[in-house]
Amino acid sequence: MIEYIQSALLLIAAFLMIVSAIGLLSLSKDTKHIVYARIHIVGLFDIACIIAMIGLGQYLLAGIYFILAPFTAHAIANAYWKKEDKEINVDLMTVEEEVDENHPFIHPKAKIQALESENSEKLKVDERFSVTTIEIDEGE
Amino acid sequence: MDILFISKYIVLIALVIMMLAALRASAYKSTSMGLLGSSVVVTAFAVGLLVVGGQYNIQFYRDISLALMFFGFVGTIAFAVTLGGEDK
Repeated sequence: MIEYIQSALLLIAAFLMIVSAIGLLSLSKDTKHIVYARIHIVGLFDIACIIAMIGLGQYLLAGIYFILAPFTAHAIANAYWKKEDKEINVDLMTVEEEVDENHPFIHPKAKIQALESENSEKLKVDERFSVTTIEIDEGE
Repeated sequence: MDILFISKYIVLIALVIMMLAALRASAYKSTSMGLLGSSVVVTAFAVGLLVVGGQYNIQFYRDISLALMFFGFVGTIAFAVTLGGEDK
């Protein structure tokens, strides 16, 4: 009976591996954010490997890899985001804002900033607030 | 023929296919893709060693597999940190 369960796990793992291989190759080069998509697909392969390890009876290795695999994926994605993605996709850094000026709750960022700067100038002029300092002479 | 034996060989074939796909993907222009491809190849090789070691009862293959998995992880993290640079 255990042999059949092991075989089923191994076959499931093999199926997932082939699916992830097809996915890895079938993405076209022009796809947007392709590196992140491929990292996602490799996550499927990692899980297939963990299932295969369980099928082979290596539970400790499966547990270790289950913990380590997300760290690897995150490190690669983070490195790509910090270095290459910012250089390749420069337009990612500019955010276009489309806000309806007549909207009752959502206001454009520039408008709010202008209002805030006006307020701060008013606050500077405002005489209701005053700052006093007390001089303490240690000799007394 | 034993079904477990056949399953193990199917897994090996799938691992070889995945290795080839990862090699193809790592030829993409970005360095991160190379890193990802090498990580996949190392993992696939480690699992392949586990399969072969289990089938032919070679105990030290499991140790090699563990070492590959652990040092592959350390190498990938180290390279990714170097690639990403310092936080500004």
